[in-house]
Amino acid sequence: MLDGKNNLKKRIIYFDNAATSWPKPESVIHSMKDSLENLGGSPGRSGHILSINSSRMLESVRESLGKYFKYQDTSRIIFTKNITEALNNCIFSLVKPGDHVITSSMEHNSVMRPLRYLEKRGVQLTIVKCYSDGLIDPENILKKIKKNTALIAITHASNVTGRIMPAREIADISLEKEIPIVLDCAQTAGAIEMDIDLNKYKNCIIAFTGHKNMFGPTGTGGMCIGKEINIEPIIFGGTGSESDKDQQPKVLPDRLESGTINITGLVGLKTGIDYILEKGINNIRRHEIELLKRFLSGLGQIKGSRIYGPADPKKQVGLVSFNLNEISPSEVGFLLDRKYSIMCRVGLHCNPNAHKTIGTFPQGTVRFGFSYFNNIEQIDLALKAIREIIFDK
Amino acid sequence: MDAVITFFSSQQVFKAEKVLKNNGISIEIIPGPREISPNCGVAICFEYENKKELISLFDRNNIMYEKIYYYPKIKKLSNWLDN
Repeated sequence: MLDGKNNLKKRIIYFDNAATSWPKPESVIHSMKDSLENLGGSPGRSGHILSINSSRMLESVRESLGKYFKYQDTSRIIFTKNITEALNNCIFSLVKPGDHVITSSMEHNSVMRPLRYLEKRGVQLTIVKCYSDGLIDPENILKKIKKNTALIAITHASNVTGRIMPAREIADISLEKEIPIVLDCAQTAGAIEMDIDLNKYKNCIIAFTGHKNMFGPTGTGGMCIGKEINIEPIIFGGTGSESDKDQQPKVLPDRLESGTINITGLVGLKTGIDYILEKGINNIRRHEIELLKRFLSGLGQIKGSRIYGPADPKKQVGLVSFNLNEISPSEVGFLLDRKYSIMCRVGLHCNPNAHKTIGTFPQGTVRFGFSYFNNIEQIDLALKAIREIIFDK
Repeated sequence: MDAVITFFSSQQVFKAEKVLKNNGISIEIIPGPREISPNCGVAICFEYENKKELISLFDRNNIMYEKIYYYPKIKKLSNWLDN
């Protein structure tokens, strides 16, 4: 624990929720403590009561995710240690040398780096240029489809501008052309109502992370796989099933979940999702829209500020990228942290291509990422701090 | 109980458990008898007379199982569970 102890929540303003959300609902913390004390055992391994209880709990984690994503086939909800692993698994499984992949110029390095790696090994890559607010035109994806296009990999909302992408239109194209599509939902899962129904888009994979808007701990993430997609494992090992064989089992989720699963973390994730389901995703979204409205209109009035992205609460998730005059983002971040106890993320956000697209490469931007636990008073304090930083320079 | 149903994955065991319990069918999760199947660490034992209902519930809920065994030997174990 930091020096803050109990009053940390009162002393700091945490606007780095687009990286990792904090604080978590109290229930998440209690459930993880309870899991360590009372759940014990390895899920899916032994037949004793502690192991059975763990397995039962693991299935109820999948059920909660299924409720959020409106996907009932829990055997196709796969856990990984984070969304990066899920995206890597999809890409390395679905793309082979000689294949063609379409992605956008707003993709995070968790998509770009595996694709660039594969490009050196004979994969053709098309990076569709997005508009300066981060929006992609689905028509430009359609135009680039070739006979050997094996995958479309697109972010659901940009981690730099917050821009929500027209995912359904892109998914419609992929469905019509029978091309697998993977959606990077790092910034949307738990933040907005999911607009992609996997029961319809059977060629789609939704990759998610637990530690951002879903209020789970770090070390949790995964993917929901549409029925027509076959993902091969990139990690092999013990699954608790078919133990008489030294070959990886074919059955899901076992095929893609080798090694003892992070049950303590996933209990926290379940509690986080249950919290969202209880509050209602649309109520959470409404609160974040209020925060965005206040911040965007306040920042827009400050001379010397420049906002990147749509600057329209309805078109973006709860994050905003901006710069102040010619002050470097890292200096702004340092002052916000040390002078005002406002925590945010500055720089390139693991996404050089997005910054090239919006014209902020290589210096990057200051990024505020809001959560359900932020309030208007904190937004006003931050706006005051920003005014002072500009005035002092 | 005198029958055992085995699964390829424990995930399906616990999905099945929930469906069966919600439908009022009496079952127990047991360590899978090795002589029957090595596929999954745990299995479900039940009354053989409920077999048809089990299969229809599994079909309706998209639950994949390996095999159903009439296995009176399990009685000894399940009687112990009942106590």
